Amino acid sequence: MILLQSPSRYLLQILSNRIQSLEKGVELDCQWVEFDDIRYHIQGSMKNPNVLLLSVSLPIPPPETVLFGGLPLGALEAIKAAYGVVAQILDPPRDGFNLTLKLNLAKLPPDEEHKHALLTKIASVREVVMGAPLRAVLKQLVTRTVSDLGKPVALVHRPNESFFLVPQADKVTVIFPMRFSDSIDTVLATSFLQEFVEARRTAGLNNAPPCLWSPSPPQELKEAFTEALSANAGFVSFVIFSRHVEGRKLDRTVWNLSTFHAYVNYHVKCSECFMHTRMRRQVESLIQALDRAKPDSAKAKRNSPSRSFKRMSLKDGNNSLGSRSWK
Amino acid sequence: MPAIVIDNGTGYTKLGYADNKEPQFIIPSVFNFLFFSAISIKENSRVGDQASRRLARGIDDLDFYIGDECLDSNGYSIKYPIRHGIVEDWDLMERFWEQCIFKYLRAEPEDHYFLLTEPPLNTPENREYTAEIMFESFNVPGLYIAVQAVLALTASWVSKSASQRSLTGTVIDSGDGVTHVIPVADGYVIGSCIKHIPIAGRNITYFIQNLLREREFGIPPEQSLETAKQIKERYSYICPDLAKEFKKYDLNPEKFIKRYKSFNNITKQPFEVDVGFERFLGPEIFFNPEISNPDFVTPLPDIVDECIQNCPIDVRRPLYKNIVLSGGSTMFKDFDRRLQRDIQRLATQRFKLSNSLTEGKIQPKPIEVQVVSHHAQRYAVWFGGSLLASTPEFYQVCHTKSQYEEFGPSICRHNPVFGAMT
Repeated sequence: MILLQSPSRYLLQILSNRIQSLEKGVELDCQWVEFDDIRYHIQGSMKNPNVLLLSVSLPIPPPETVLFGGLPLGALEAIKAAYGVVAQILDPPRDGFNLTLKLNLAKLPPDEEHKHALLTKIASVREVVMGAPLRAVLKQLVTRTVSDLGKPVALVHRPNESFFLVPQADKVTVIFPMRFSDSIDTVLATSFLQEFVEARRTAGLNNAPPCLWSPSPPQELKEAFTEALSANAGFVSFVIFSRHVEGRKLDRTVWNLSTFHAYVNYHVKCSECFMHTRMRRQVESLIQALDRAKPDSAKAKRNSPSRSFKRMSLKDGNNSLGSRSWK
Repeated sequence: MPAIVIDNGTGYTKLGYADNKEPQFIIPSVFNFLFFSAISIKENSRVGDQASRRLARGIDDLDFYIGDECLDSNGYSIKYPIRHGIVEDWDLMERFWEQCIFKYLRAEPEDHYFLLTEPPLNTPENREYTAEIMFESFNVPGLYIAVQAVLALTASWVSKSASQRSLTGTVIDSGDGVTHVIPVADGYVIGSCIKHIPIAGRNITYFIQNLLREREFGIPPEQSLETAKQIKERYSYICPDLAKEFKKYDLNPEKFIKRYKSFNNITKQPFEVDVGFERFLGPEIFFNPEISNPDFVTPLPDIVDECIQNCPIDVRRPLYKNIVLSGGSTMFKDFDRRLQRDIQRLATQRFKLSNSLTEGKIQPKPIEVQVVSHHAQRYAVWFGGSLLASTPEFYQVCHTKSQYEEFGPSICRHNPVFGAMT
C-alpha cells in the first residue's frame, strides 16, 4: 500500500454487513477515530433496521480558518450532491459531533453496482466533508473563474492545524506546514520530503504537480498568517494546474491533498520499520561473526567424552600414572 | 483518544478501539509478498539467506498484503508470522502491525495507547521485541502487554456484580486449533499447571463431516467441509445425557431433525441435508473424546479437575468457583451447564472419599463449582482488553514512552499490576 484509500474500511464493512442482513436487524453502536482528527459514531436500532445514524466530529479549527455552523465551507451542499435522498442531515447534530446524517438504506438504488458505488461514497464521508472547500477552489480552476486572486485561504486539516491555498488565475498553490512531535520523526520527515522533491525531477513524472520544500515559510504566506507559521519539518508546496483536476482526477487530488500529513506520517513509520529490519539483520550478522571468532571451546567439549573412551594400552596407563605421581 | 486493542492470535487477529463491544476487524493472521517470490526465483542458488532477500530497494517493501486480501491475491507467497500463539518472525510482524494501524484502523499511533496480548508462557525477550517495535517505530505514547487468559477473566466481569470481580479463575480457551486450560491466581498465570487438549473447533467440524459422509450423498465433495462447519455453527448443542437424547430423537424425529438447505457453488443446484444426531454428537467429543479420536480419551471435565488439583492448595476453591469460557468453540448451547455438572460430580466424589477416610471427624465445606458464561465469549480476549483499556486505571499501569526512553525495553519484563507484591 503506497497511497491511503479514501473510503473508511470499517464504515464500508458495517454498511455492507447491514445490507446483507437487513431482516436480522441487530443493535449497532460503535465509535472510532480516523487519523486522530475525525471521530465517527454509528447507531442502528433493532426496530428500524433500515435507518442508521452516522455522526462525525471534525478537528478543532485553528483561529485562522473560517467555518460555517461547525462545518467547512460548502460541506452541506457537497453532502446533498453526493448522497441525494439516501442521507438526511439532522439539525442540530448529536451532542459532541459536528454533523449527523440519517442514512436510509431502503432508498439505495436496487442495482448492485450503483449500490456499491454509493456505499463507498458514504464510507468516504471524510473526503466529502473535509475536502469540500478544497474541491470548490479546485473546481474554479477548471472553469477558470478564480476569484480573490492571490489571497491565501486557510483550511483546517488537523486539530489546531491548517494548510493554505493561494489561488491564481491558472494555478493553485497548496502549502503544508509540516509538524511532528517526535524529534526522530522530524528528521526522517524532513529528509523524506526533500527526497520527495528530488523524485519529482525524474523524467517519468513530468506531468505531476511541481513540488517544493523549504525550511522557511514561503513569501505568499508571510504577510497573511504570522502566528500559524511555526513548523519543525519545513513547508511543502504543490502547484496544482487545471490538468490535475480535470474530470475524475478531481476526487483523487482532493483526497491526496487533504490527507497529506497522514501520508507522510505513514511513510515515516514505514521507513522506521525498514531500518529496524536492517538493524536486526546487522545484529544477527555481528553475532555470527562473534560466534566464529570464539575460541574452539565448543569443539573441545565435544571431543572430551570421546577422549574418555580412548583405548589405552598398558604402557600409556603406566606413563600417565607415572607422570601424575611425579607432580 | 481511545486506546487501541490488538489481539494477535495464531489464526485470526482481532483489532479495534477500546470501549466498543466487538472488535472492528477480524482478519486472518497471514501475510504475503510479491517481491519475495520474485527475488527468490532469481536467488535460488542462495537459499537460506532469508534476511538478505528482505532488503529490497526502493518502495518494494511496501508491496504486501495482510489478512483476507492476501488469500485472494495470486502470485504472492503466504507466510504466517505467528506460530502457536508466539511471534516467530519479527520483520513480518512489524509490517503486519504497520498495516493493521494505517490500513485497517487508520490511526496515527502517536496519539493512542496500545494494548497488545501475549500467550501464557511468552518469553520476556519477545516482550522486549514488542516494546522496541511499538515505541521505536510507531512512537506510541504507552503500551500494555496483557496475558490472553487474564483478559478472558476480565471479560467475564460483565456477568457479575462488582464485589465478585476477581482475577482468580480457570480459563478454558478453545479456538479452532487447540484448547487450553489455564489456571490464573490473582492475575498471575500458574504456568506449570497449564493443560493442552488436542480437541477444538476444527476437530468437531471434521467429525461432523465424517458422519455426514457416511449418510448423506447429495453434498458436493468440495463443499462438504463448509457444510459441516455451517451445521456445527447453526444447529449444534450439548446434551445432558447421550442415551436419553438418542431416545428423544427416535420417538419424535420430526421435532428434532433439522433440514439444512444450500446451493452447489458450481452448478447452482439446490441440495438438502438432514441434520440429526450430529447436532449433539459433534460437540460431545469434548466430553467423550473416544468417539472421534482413539489416541486421546480423557474428557474435558477430567482435565480441568486434574489441572486445578495440580495447583497450590490455597487457590483451588476459588479456581473451582470461577471457571471462565473463552473462544468460539465454547459457544455451544448448554456447554457451561454440562461442564459445571460434570466437574461438580468429580469434586463431590473426591469430597465424599475424603470424608469417608477421615470417618467424619473433620467436616469441611463442600466444594462449589461454577462455570461462567457470558455474551462476549467469542471474542472474550479482545473484549476483556477493550474493557480494561477503557478504565482510567489502564493509563496508570501502562509502560509510557518516557519510561522506555529512560530504562529501555526491559521495563516490559515487569508488569506494574503486580507492583504491590514486589
